[in-house]
Amino acid sequence: MALLSLQHIQKRYGNYQASNDISFDIPKGKIFGMLGPNGAGKTTLIRMITRILYPDSGNILFNGEPLAERHTEQTGYMPEERGLYKKMKVGEQLIYLARLKGLSNSQAKQAVNGWLEKFNITSWYNKSIDELSKGMSQKIQFIGTVIHNPDLLILDEPFSGLDPINSKLIEEEIRQLSLQGKTIIFSTHRMEQVEEICSDIVLINKGSKILEGSVGDLKQRFKENKFRISYTGQLNESIVSNLQVVNKAEGELTVQFGAEHKGNELLRLFVENKVEVTSFNEVLPTINEIFIRQVEAN
Amino acid sequence: MGKIWIIVQREYITRVKRKSFLITTLLAPLGFLLLMSSSVLISTYSQGKMDVAIIDETSLFKDVPIADAEDGSVYFHTITEDYNKVSKEIQGTEKPKYEAIVFIPKDFDIDNPRRTNIAVRYTKRPGIAKQQFISQSINSAYQEVRLKALNISQQQRDEMQEKLSLNFESLDNEHENQSYTAIAGGVGMMMGFAIYISIFFYGTMIMKGVMEEKTNRIVEVLASSVKPFQLLMGKIIGVGAVGVTQFILWGILMIGTVFIVGPLLGIPMSSMQTMPTQPPVEAIDQDSVQALAQTFRSLPLIQILVFFPFYFLGGFLIYGSLFAAIGAAIGEDGDQQSLMIPVTVPIIISIFIAINVINNPDSALGMWGSLIPFTSPVVMSALLPFGPPWWQIALSLLLLLGGFVFTTFIAARIYRTGILMYGKKVKMKEIARWIFSKA
Repeated sequence: MALLSLQHIQKRYGNYQASNDISFDIPKGKIFGMLGPNGAGKTTLIRMITRILYPDSGNILFNGEPLAERHTEQTGYMPEERGLYKKMKVGEQLIYLARLKGLSNSQAKQAVNGWLEKFNITSWYNKSIDELSKGMSQKIQFIGTVIHNPDLLILDEPFSGLDPINSKLIEEEIRQLSLQGKTIIFSTHRMEQVEEICSDIVLINKGSKILEGSVGDLKQRFKENKFRISYTGQLNESIVSNLQVVNKAEGELTVQFGAEHKGNELLRLFVENKVEVTSFNEVLPTINEIFIRQVEAN
Repeated sequence: MGKIWIIVQREYITRVKRKSFLITTLLAPLGFLLLMSSSVLISTYSQGKMDVAIIDETSLFKDVPIADAEDGSVYFHTITEDYNKVSKEIQGTEKPKYEAIVFIPKDFDIDNPRRTNIAVRYTKRPGIAKQQFISQSINSAYQEVRLKALNISQQQRDEMQEKLSLNFESLDNEHENQSYTAIAGGVGMMMGFAIYISIFFYGTMIMKGVMEEKTNRIVEVLASSVKPFQLLMGKIIGVGAVGVTQFILWGILMIGTVFIVGPLLGIPMSSMQTMPTQPPVEAIDQDSVQALAQTFRSLPLIQILVFFPFYFLGGFLIYGSLFAAIGAAIGEDGDQQSLMIPVTVPIIISIFIAINVINNPDSALGMWGSLIPFTSPVVMSALLPFGPPWWQIALSLLLLLGGFVFTTFIAARIYRTGILMYGKKVKMKEIARWIFSKA
């Protein structure tokens, strides 16, 4: 079941086509990666999902209903260009953001206290953002995004500008929220993060959708029949002379087969020649490799 | 509406809690007082005292008294020394005895004064006020000399100088008299000026608030929770409420000073209400005070009280939304102040029209100025005490409402696009395009 469904979205700015007939579904309860290089049109799509902008044509469905104002209260958005009121106190600021998302004053206070306790930062309540370090204010920013317990969380480049410790913390929090059944859109141009976190992705380039699917399926679909085998001891070169070796290192070999061969043949070759195999695995393409290949193919 | 209210609260509370709010609230009246009194002080003390020697080789002026300046800026000394000697003396010294010499040469002809002019020679150029005073003093002395030469008696002279005083009265309003125009003009100017100042002061406050949200990068977070229009309105209303609070506090402060602080210091209330520039209270007799009050009461007070708030509100909303739009377009770096020109020029024009209007309340300029929504808040406020016709007020209010709807529509569109434009210098042409683009 899709929480969000984009159908034939078109958006132009003057002569610039920011979204060109984009359709995809975002499954409920998944961490969904929206990938693409800078300027691909990710932020435009997000702004349409958050109702900051409206598509020129096409539909967006939220839980099967046409996207409406009330859905913004079920959505939490952390933009790439983000910030807080510098002079405002942490507590007041979070309460304000929560109330704009439809919480009552007392609900907002309760939620703020809950999150500050969770992060062990209740002492920050009366500090102004000015007094906080960048990492600290990023934490507050994250709390501000999730304070109203949204069903859909949209994070645009959430790790940019974060140190490793805070990155880890936010990543943990994202996983936690996902386990609670929240749907998370994770937009980034850094592909390696996606593989670690996302289950499903859509690839966007120059305003058009290039690919979509689950990370596992995509890797299977674009795999090249490559295997990596590690071994100990001497390897008789004649064994591998008939194979297409794409990479060779000390005690490690990466081999590519044609479509008709299977990994077992390589393993059998090593076993029959009495070479001690320490590990054997299929080499799947990274999302980055798939992306580059697709962009070049288009 | 609920969300606008939340925004209004934040805009209001954060501003009122700031130290700068307290400081401006307390210091603005002080600054105003200082401004008023400094203009008096400057005119009194700025130039210092000047000693002027009068060397009269003709002896024509010797029986005519030439009075020194009342404010102590110019003192005349009639001396009999030789001109050349004195002029040399004062040129050579650092601190001369006289700063200027009025030299009446031997061949000065009283019947033909333009043939040989009286010269005023100085070591340091006297200011315009002093030049005027010296010129007037010598001229009236010359008149005296002339009258004496013509053998005209004091009585004849007094009779000759008797002046008429004309009464200007309205045909259809028996209460309206000549002081009416002055009072109506004063009240009108005060109201027009109040709107003018408020638009600038609170308009800039709105603009800075918008720029702050853009620079902070919080605006996109906000835009995902509320509509840009709600954000815009919340800010304008919030800042407006700050303005109202400030005006109320100033009112309390003023009344407090007059009624509490004054008596505590033992200063009689009547003298506190009198500005230093005005003649002392004794000079105004009881009748004229009553006449003044009478005139004031004959102003169309109900019209003023009912309509002035509309113009105040209308002007504030129209310009507040425009300032917000400019703030959204300028954003971050803030070095594009030129974008403010299209907004500030009409306000400045309207105060000029208002100044003209209080002298010519029936002029065509005043009528147009009171109808066009960009100038009507200031101009119509200046015009209200003169009792403009009902059709003019009605049409003006209608146009004001239309102007408000139109400008907020335009401003909201500029704002909506502007707040999401980062790191880009914006030109006027592009802003015009935003107005017609879809969100």
